[in-house]
Amino acid sequence: MLLVVMSGLAVFGCAGIKSVPEGGSGVTIANGTLFLCPAITTQGGGFGCTAPSGGGKLVALATSGARLWEVPLETSGATGGMFGCTPAPKPVAIYGTPTVAGGLVYIGSYNGKIYAINSSLGALRWVYPRQDKLEPIIGGTTVVRGKLYFGCSDGKVYALDAETGDKEWEFQTGDKIWSTPVIDGDRLFIGSFDKKLYALSATDGSMKWEFEAEGAIAAAPLVYDDTVYIGSFDRHLYAVSASDGSLKWEFSAERWFWTKPVAYNNTIYAGCFDGKVYALNAKSGSKVAEFDLGSPVAAWPVIVDSSVIFASEEGKVYSLDTAANQVKQIANLEEKIYTPLCASNGVVYIYSEAQNLYALDAESGARLWSLPLTSK
Amino acid sequence: MIGEIWDLIILQPVINCLIGLSSYLFGSFGLAIIALTIVVNALMYRLTMKQVKASKGMQGLQPQMAELQKKYGKDKQRLAQEQMRMYKESGLSPAGCLLPMLVQMPVWIALFQAIMRLVAVIPENLLGLSKYLYSWSIIYTTLPLQNKFLWLDLAEGDLFLAILVGATMWLQQKMVTPTSADSRQQAQSRLMLWMMPMMFAFICLSFPSGLALYWVTSSIIRIAIQYLVTGWGALAPAATTKLSGRDKRLKRRIVLEGVSKKEVPVKADVGEPASSSEEVSDAEKSEEERPDAGESYPTRLEQIKPLPRRDKGYRYKGR
Repeated sequence: MLLVVMSGLAVFGCAGIKSVPEGGSGVTIANGTLFLCPAITTQGGGFGCTAPSGGGKLVALATSGARLWEVPLETSGATGGMFGCTPAPKPVAIYGTPTVAGGLVYIGSYNGKIYAINSSLGALRWVYPRQDKLEPIIGGTTVVRGKLYFGCSDGKVYALDAETGDKEWEFQTGDKIWSTPVIDGDRLFIGSFDKKLYALSATDGSMKWEFEAEGAIAAAPLVYDDTVYIGSFDRHLYAVSASDGSLKWEFSAERWFWTKPVAYNNTIYAGCFDGKVYALNAKSGSKVAEFDLGSPVAAWPVIVDSSVIFASEEGKVYSLDTAANQVKQIANLEEKIYTPLCASNGVVYIYSEAQNLYALDAESGARLWSLPLTSK
Repeated sequence: MIGEIWDLIILQPVINCLIGLSSYLFGSFGLAIIALTIVVNALMYRLTMKQVKASKGMQGLQPQMAELQKKYGKDKQRLAQEQMRMYKESGLSPAGCLLPMLVQMPVWIALFQAIMRLVAVIPENLLGLSKYLYSWSIIYTTLPLQNKFLWLDLAEGDLFLAILVGATMWLQQKMVTPTSADSRQQAQSRLMLWMMPMMFAFICLSFPSGLALYWVTSSIIRIAIQYLVTGWGALAPAATTKLSGRDKRLKRRIVLEGVSKKEVPVKADVGEPASSSEEVSDAEKSEEERPDAGESYPTRLEQIKPLPRRDKGYRYKGR
C-alpha cells in the first residue's frame, strides 16, 4: 500500500511542479556587456521532485556571445538539518533582472540577499543584509540617484545606499512584494500582493497615496504621461493618476496580467495570460486592437524602433508594428519564455526556460547566435 | 491526454474548490484544506462505513483464522484457500479495508499539486496556475492564497504536524487492529500498526504541511467514525481482555471440541463469543443444511455480532 502511495505521489504528484526555485533572470545591457543570472540546474530529487544541483551565478557576456566572466553567488548558510544531518546548501535562484549603475551590477536573490558586484571585474562589492537574510526577493531592483530600491516577500520596500549597501529606509505593505519598483521624479511606484499600488517618496519612503485593486499585483508598473499603468491578478489593467492615485480607467481581460506594459505613441501595449496583447488608448483605455498570440504572455515586451517585440509562453516571438497595428511572428524558439526581453542595436536577447540565451535580429527574427547558459 | 483528463476532472476542481473555500473562510488556506477534507470524507461516508464494518468483521474472524492457522499451518496453499473461502462466505474482503485509502489517492496528489501552485512561494508554480482557473471572479480576487496557517507554512514540511499525522494514524490503526492468538499474526499486526503511521509521518517531513493537515483531519474524522461504530476497539483498557468463566469455558470448548468453526466467531481481542447461544444454534443449523458441509464460517457480515462488552466506556453501536 505504501508503495502505491509513494509511487502515486512520485509519478503524478510532481508533474509540472517545481519543488525548488530555479530562477533565471532577464538580460541587461550596459556598455556593450550583457549581464544575466541563469537558472540553477536541477536533478531528480526525493519522490521524483526536482532538487538543486548547482548554485546561482552572474554571467557577463560580450554582445557576440563570448563569455567574459562569471561569478558564483554564495549559498545560504547551513542552518542545522534534521536528525543531526547537515542540510544541503540552498541554491541562489535569481528572478529579478540585474540592474547596472555606477560600475556595479545589482542582483536581488531568492535567498533574501542583495548583491552588488563590480561590473567590469566581477568582484563582490557588498551584500545586504551583511548578516542574516531577508525573505525571498523575486522582483528586480531599480537604481536612481545613488539609491537602490527593491521589494521583498516580507512585504517591505527597501531603499539602500547604492554605493555602500547601507539601509536608508523601508516601507511595510500588507503582503508579499514581487513587483519591481519604478521611479518617476521623487515618486516610487510598486505593487503588492495586498492588492494595492503604492506611491512612496523616493527620498524618505513616506506614502504619498495608495490605490486598491481587486486582486493581488505582481506586475511592475509603467509610468507614462503622469499616469501609472499596472496589471493585476483580478484580470484588470488599471490606469491611475500618478499625482493622486485616482483611477482614470480600467480594462478587463479574460485572465490575469503579469507583465509590465509598454507605451508608444499614446498607446499602451499589454500582454495578458489569456494569450492576447491588447493595444489600448493611453488616455481613455479604449481598445485600439488586440492580437492573439495563442499562449500566455508572461515576458516583458521591449520596444525596438517603432515595433514592440513580444514573446509568448510557448516560445514564439512576435513583432508588432505600431504604425499599422499588425503583428507578425518573427521566430519560434520552441522553448518556454518567461523572462523579460531586452534589446540593443536592433538585437533582441531572450533567455528561455530551457536555459538557452538567444540573440535575434529584431526585424527579421533571424537567430544571430544562441548559447546554453546554466548555473552548473 | 491522460494529463488533460487528470487536470479537467481532478486537479481543476480541487484547485478552484480550495480557492472558493478560502474566499469564504476568511481567506485562510488552512481552513480551506480542513473544509475540503470534511467534504471529501462526507462524500466517502458510505465507503468508509463499509470499511469500518469490514474491519469489525475481520476482527470477528480472528479466532477462525487462528484455527485455520493451527489446522493448515503447514499446508500454505490449503490455508490460503480456506482463508479465501472464509472471507467469501463471510462477505468480507481484506482489500475492502484499503479501498477508501485508494480512492483518496487522487485527492492527495491533486492537493499536493494545488498547494504548490496556490501559495505564492515559487514563481514558476504560480505562473503555471493560470490555466487551471475557472472564470469565476471570486477566484481571481482571492489569489494567491496565504501559506501561513497557525504556526505552519503550508508549503513546507513541519515536524510537529508530521508527528501528529503519525499519532492519529496509529490511534486509528490501533482501534481496528485485532489481537490474534497466533503469534505470527500478532507480529504482523504489530508491524502494520507501527509501519504505516511511521512511514506517513516520515513522508510528511518532505511534503508540504498542507497535505499533512489533510491527513491529520482525515484521520481524526475516521477515528470519530470508528468510535461511533465499534467503540475504542483495541484501545479499550487492558482489563477488558480478562475472560469471564463462561468465556473461558466456551473458548476451551471451541479449541478442544473443534466446534468453533461450525459455530460463531469469537472476538479475539477480548476472547468473547461473538453471539449468544441462540445464534450458535442458528449457525449450527445452517451448517447442517449445507450439503458440502465440511467447515463453514459466518456467511454474512451481519452474523458477526460481537457481544456487548462489559467494560466501562465501551459503546458498541454496531449491528
